[in-house]
Amino acid sequence: MTNEELIAKLKPIVASYAQDKAALEKIDKDTDFIKDLKINSANLVDVVLDVEEEFDIVIDNTSMEKMLSVGAAMDIIEAKLQEK
Amino acid sequence: MIGNDIVDMEQAEQDSNWKRPGYLDKLFTSEEQFLISSAIQPDIMVWLLWTMKESAYKIESKTNKLQEFAPVKLICNNLIIHENTATGNVTYGNQVYFTKSTLLAEYIHTIAALTNEELNTVSIAITSPKSENYKTNNPSSISHHGKYLALVYK
Repeated sequence: MTNEELIAKLKPIVASYAQDKAALEKIDKDTDFIKDLKINSANLVDVVLDVEEEFDIVIDNTSMEKMLSVGAAMDIIEAKLQEK
Repeated sequence: MIGNDIVDMEQAEQDSNWKRPGYLDKLFTSEEQFLISSAIQPDIMVWLLWTMKESAYKIESKTNKLQEFAPVKLICNNLIIHENTATGNVTYGNQVYFTKSTLLAEYIHTIAALTNEELNTVSIAITSPKSENYKTNNPSSISHHGKYLALVYK
């Protein structure tokens, strides 16, 4: 999966929880879920669960710890897809 | 140092479905999940434990310049609930935080500190995010959720 394809799949997931819709339009791998998109921390779990469903992967707690930005999420998804 | 976290119960109900499969497993230890499943009002227990973790994390992240999403590493224990208040501890590794919470139908608010004494010397103001000049009084800790803004002063 290319980076563009990954971001295209991630965007609708984070869109459900992002409170800053303008930041959502400029989403790239440096976008921070909390600082930029203003996702509530309790909704970060929903992002993780949605990503698990969308990509059919399991995100363990150690991986989840780092999942605070689009780029970090992309790295985790790619690593988990490789493991499959 | 003080950390604080507020949950607007109405907002939480709109934004979060904690009954979603897998949700609690990612946030809470098995002991904490037992507290939730055996609570008379599980909603209140979910957000009480969550504000305990968040308020402790705010101190931890400031002290250690830490950025991570590891709620299960923040472990709630010694929780005592007494009508509309609660006290407890949150541990993160070897660090112990003391917490004090207010439980109302409208919101749950928790403050955390490194000592019990510190918790008892602060003053708390629960106000609206519309009160624009709140920063002029120099609050030690700020938390915003839904219609509530929580400010803690030393």
